[in-house]
Amino acid sequence: MAETPAYRHTFVRLLGFLRPYKWSLAVSIVLAIGAQAAAVVAAFLTGDALEGAVSSDDRRTLWLVALAIAVTGLVRALFMMGRRLIAGRQALGIEYDMRNALYSKLLRLSFGFYDRHQTGQLMSRATVDLQAVRFFLGYGLIFFFQHVTTIVGVTAVMLVTNWRLAVAATAITPLIVILAYRYSSVSHPVLRDVQQKMADVATVAEENIVGVHVVKSFAQERAEAGKFARRSEEVFGRSVEANRQRATYVPLLSFLPLIAQAAVLLFGGRMVANGTLGFGEFIAFNILVVMLVMPLRMLGMWIGQMQRATASGERIFEVMDEAEEITEKPGAVELPPGEGRIRFEHLSFEYAPGRPVLEDVDLELEPGRTVALIGHTGSGKTTLASLIPRFYDATTGRVTVDGADVRDLKLTSLRRKIGIVAQDPFLFSETVFENIAFGAPGATPDDVERAARLAQAHEFIEDLPAGYDTVIGERGITLSGGQRQRLAIARALVMDPRILILDDATASVDATTEAKIRLGLREAMKDRTTIIIAHRLSTIALADELVVLDGGRIAGRGTDAELLRTNPVFREIYEHGLLEREFAERVEARA
Amino acid sequence: MRVWQPGGHLTQRRDAPEIDDWSWARTARRISTLASLTRPYKGRTMLAIVSLLLATATALAPPFLAKLAVDDGIRERDLDTLTWIVIAFVGAGVASFLTAAAQTYFTGWTGERILADLRNKLFRHLQRLSLGYFERNRAGVIISRLTNDVDALDQLVTDGVTTLVQSTLLLFGTAIILFLFDWRLALAALSVMPLMAIATALFRVRSSRAYRDVRERLGLVTATLAEDIGGIRVVQSFRREGRNQRHFEEVNAHYREANQQTVVLNGLYFPFVDFLSALATAVVIGYGGWLASQGEISVGTLLAFVLYLANFFDPVQQLSQLYNTFLAAVAALDKIMEVIDEEPEVRDNPDARDLERIHGDVRFDGVRFGYGNLPEVLHGIDLDVPAGTTVALVGHTGAGKSTIAKLLARFYDPRKGRITIDGTDLRDVKQGSLRRQLGVVPQEGFLFAGTVRDNIAFGRPDATSEQVASAARAVGAHQFILGLEDGYETNLQERGTRLSLGQRQLVAFARALLADPRVLILDEATSSVDIGTERKIEEALGKLLSDRTAFVIAHRLSTIRGADLIVVVEQGRVVEQGTHDELMTKQGLYTSLYGDWADVA
Ligand SMILES: Nc1ncnc2c1ncn2[C@@H]1O[C@H](COP(=O)(O)OP(=O)(O)OP(=O)(O)O)[C@@H](O)[C@H]1O
Ligand SMILES: Nc1ncnc2c1ncn2[C@@H]1O[C@H](COP(=O)(O)OP(=O)(O)OP(=O)(O)O)[C@@H](O)[C@H]1O
Ligand SMILES: [Mg+2]
Ligand SMILES: [Mg+2]
Repeated sequence: MAETPAYRHTFVRLLGFLRPYKWSLAVSIVLAIGAQAAAVVAAFLTGDALEGAVSSDDRRTLWLVALAIAVTGLVRALFMMGRRLIAGRQALGIEYDMRNALYSKLLRLSFGFYDRHQTGQLMSRATVDLQAVRFFLGYGLIFFFQHVTTIVGVTAVMLVTNWRLAVAATAITPLIVILAYRYSSVSHPVLRDVQQKMADVATVAEENIVGVHVVKSFAQERAEAGKFARRSEEVFGRSVEANRQRATYVPLLSFLPLIAQAAVLLFGGRMVANGTLGFGEFIAFNILVVMLVMPLRMLGMWIGQMQRATASGERIFEVMDEAEEITEKPGAVELPPGEGRIRFEHLSFEYAPGRPVLEDVDLELEPGRTVALIGHTGSGKTTLASLIPRFYDATTGRVTVDGADVRDLKLTSLRRKIGIVAQDPFLFSETVFENIAFGAPGATPDDVERAARLAQAHEFIEDLPAGYDTVIGERGITLSGGQRQRLAIARALVMDPRILILDDATASVDATTEAKIRLGLREAMKDRTTIIIAHRLSTIALADELVVLDGGRIAGRGTDAELLRTNPVFREIYEHGLLEREFAERVEARA
Repeated sequence: MRVWQPGGHLTQRRDAPEIDDWSWARTARRISTLASLTRPYKGRTMLAIVSLLLATATALAPPFLAKLAVDDGIRERDLDTLTWIVIAFVGAGVASFLTAAAQTYFTGWTGERILADLRNKLFRHLQRLSLGYFERNRAGVIISRLTNDVDALDQLVTDGVTTLVQSTLLLFGTAIILFLFDWRLALAALSVMPLMAIATALFRVRSSRAYRDVRERLGLVTATLAEDIGGIRVVQSFRREGRNQRHFEEVNAHYREANQQTVVLNGLYFPFVDFLSALATAVVIGYGGWLASQGEISVGTLLAFVLYLANFFDPVQQLSQLYNTFLAAVAALDKIMEVIDEEPEVRDNPDARDLERIHGDVRFDGVRFGYGNLPEVLHGIDLDVPAGTTVALVGHTGAGKSTIAKLLARFYDPRKGRITIDGTDLRDVKQGSLRRQLGVVPQEGFLFAGTVRDNIAFGRPDATSEQVASAARAVGAHQFILGLEDGYETNLQERGTRLSLGQRQLVAFARALLADPRVLILDEATSSVDIGTERKIEEALGKLLSDRTAFVIAHRLSTIRGADLIVVVEQGRVVEQGTHDELMTKQGLYTSLYGDWADVA
């Protein structure tokens, strides 16, 4: 943990968070030093009193001194109270500010960032790391000052009182500081390891719990328990190592100050015996040495804390400094009025450099029309659709909506006009109503119900225990697949978007329900530009025009009649659809 | 060692855990739970206890020796005695150092060992619990049992017990020594005790409430974070950032307020104890100084009193601080015991045996089922599926198809009726022996973070690369996997987000095939896969399935048409069954279900 420039830089940046609290910090430090000074005064008073007790029988002085000790105690307590209240408030304020800042950063980071980072890792920054920083900035720094001034102050007082004894008493302190520092630096990596291994345990646990149905399906409980136990044993191994270090250093650090006390007893005792030191001063020395013990022991700990906070700060800043790939330009404008004309202009896209997923896509979608996007699994349909709301930016080329490059637009004005039903919709553990009204905060119950009816969700919602007020399980776990999809469709419709994107939105829905949804969609699609990604001919039939993607390129475009002749991808779908149509015709013929 | 738990907190119920059950039975269970964990490590536990007692005893010696040094050495100007006493002083320090080191090592080791065992035990227990448990409880909460709660115990088991024993012994030891020195002065010194007792009692009541609030509200902060990060894509799509930020700031502010409470409480209490200790010192000096000047006690005794007083007030502060740790640990222990007490709803009979190699006759006899205590969703399912049959389950969404599939895999047991395979009731066989012969592709596919290979080989970790590749080939996934940057060794992100949804389904399908199942359950296994790929899978599957029983849930006619038996489910009942042609002539629900394709055009 060398003092690299990066380390120092992070440290200075952390201190920057104190700026709003600089006055309270200053007051805290003054109060802390005041409290320590009161303790030094009390030590001398005690020494005087004991000396008085031996030499004189002036009872009044004795009681006065006792009173003075009580008063200094009171003063000290008041100082401490003030310091604790002010510093505590400041620590909480810092934590609050930083957490809000981190959260708002997380909201601004783009999809690409979340593709690369694990939820657990991000969470630990907003909790564990933040706490480490709070402890240091909130308390650590003040204690550090308090302890340094105590050590310097008490040593100075001892030197002034009797420099010879002071040297004897403090001879051991450098050793204590060195050991304390050493302890914090050897234990730091081990403790960090424990932390990391613990996060691994949590990760295995998390996957096993969310994916419990898969583990059970494959009867892999034993293998997974083995995996868990291995990680758990690693935590144990590192914890025991940390414990071994603690067992060595902590008792040692408690023991060394006793040597200082012994030195005071031995040399101080001799000095008292041969009259070069007053008895009162001797007692005061004893108490002063005791006062040094805690700060000395803690010094190393604070240094360690400082390192930990800096390491945590580094992890936090890593996220804070992460480039926001998708940001509004300084002069970003509102989405111009229009009917929803979408253009992809010679657009290419890659998730990872050198691995293009879309290549030279050049496409114009007329306003108010419905386009079906078809293609094999992995051909890039979802990717292409996600470029319109600007979840990612094109690598080359551009996307325009109603004539405006999406990169020039305010994100809110763009995305508020686009309703998306994702391929695997995420629902929140809130009520059905809140889930549907998610993108339209002002939606009335009527709006929500209308959208639910269009999505064919109203009926089953009514059947839920509390209707629209039923809270659904995490990720919609207590709903059937088709029910989840219909809620997601309703959620997109209630926004009244200019552009509607349905990504395989009816894949888990049966034919009858799908037919009804189609009726609903026909109505909902009026006056909107709609992109339908689907594999079913019946769904595709909603479209005015088809676009075929193949390996990230446009492989065909036109009406079904045109594509049937030219495009094998569509032919597959068509033939399958034919089967269904024949079936339907037979049914009708018999009816 | 706090580790973040996804959503931990969510569940912390609003009416947070109050530990008011201090009944003897409950307390005894808590203690015996912990004690039973130490049983395998009796030797070390004994060593820990012995060294703890010794360490405490040696810690009491130095102030006493300081008194001797003053009285017998310095006051008597007897420098030799002084030297000897100081040597004894250092000796006591060394003894205290050694015993403390041994004590820290042994308690730490035993504590960590117990926790590791507890974690493993808890995890194994969780694995025995049925799916219903995981639906009733949030993932984050369960995870926090394994991590946060075990961690709360950590503080008690390693530091807490030591502090508790040591501080208590030190407290009483000091009191006794003070009384032995001089009972009058001891009484005077302890005259502040009533004040202290009142302050401490007040503090404990208030602070346990405050800390509970803090835990609860921190829970909410974490929960909000977890869910918002999990659903960040939706949040951004729907531009909810503003509202979410406001909501989060509110939750964050609540947390800060709760914390502010503890700051105030600590800020008042601890300085107050400090003041009391100064007051006691003043009393000792005033009264003791007078006694000393009267020659009733020695100055050394007076010094020892002053030094011992610190010994006395420090433990009080430490115990007060420990009180919250203690409450948190007991609350955590209670929650852990709750999980351990939870019995799986799906339980093997005591005389359950291993299911032999499945031939494949599956029967449902009047099966009725409902989730938890919710209304019934299956109202008497009767099915008779001869071995080797491919059964297609069709019906409206929400009809109960997936539920039937989950019952067959015995994720739940029927409320009434029974399910048999080859004539054996599923409840009479061990779950593992059943599931090892099933291949399930659930509707909610789930991939693990890890390589493609590891994911496909999940059910058969010892599979060769060749076997993995051929499973992938059978579902048409081989090609695209080779196209990934590291082929089969490509790391899939959390839940496999690095793949398109169709690709994820293919990997999950390959995973089921590789397990070489006797009964295959495909719940919309290819719903997001394009039709061309699906066709190829069907062809490849035709051979694979020839002698196996398969349950297929699908909405695509082509998939269904080829099935040997089509079962139409409507609102939890089987309303029709037969082959495609049979059902066509019936003109029932099946035809109407698909007649809606007529709308094509
Ligand atoms: N987040 C990502 N990071 C890297 N590669 C990705 C990511 N998402 C998708 N890909 C890759 O990009 C390609 C296109 O994926 P996309 O999701 O657009 O396909 P799709 O046409 O929607 O397929 P499907 O029909 O299966 O949904 C695939 O090869 C996929 O593996
Ligand atoms: N874990 C659960 N807890 C409570 N209710 C559930 C749970 N899973 C499903 N349900 C309910 O049981 C009923 C049947 O659901 P099931 O998943 O079996 O339907 P499905 O026929 O598979 O529908 P889909 O075609 O949409 O997947 C639905 O009303 C659903 O809401
Ligand atoms: Mg897709
Ligand atoms: Mg289903």
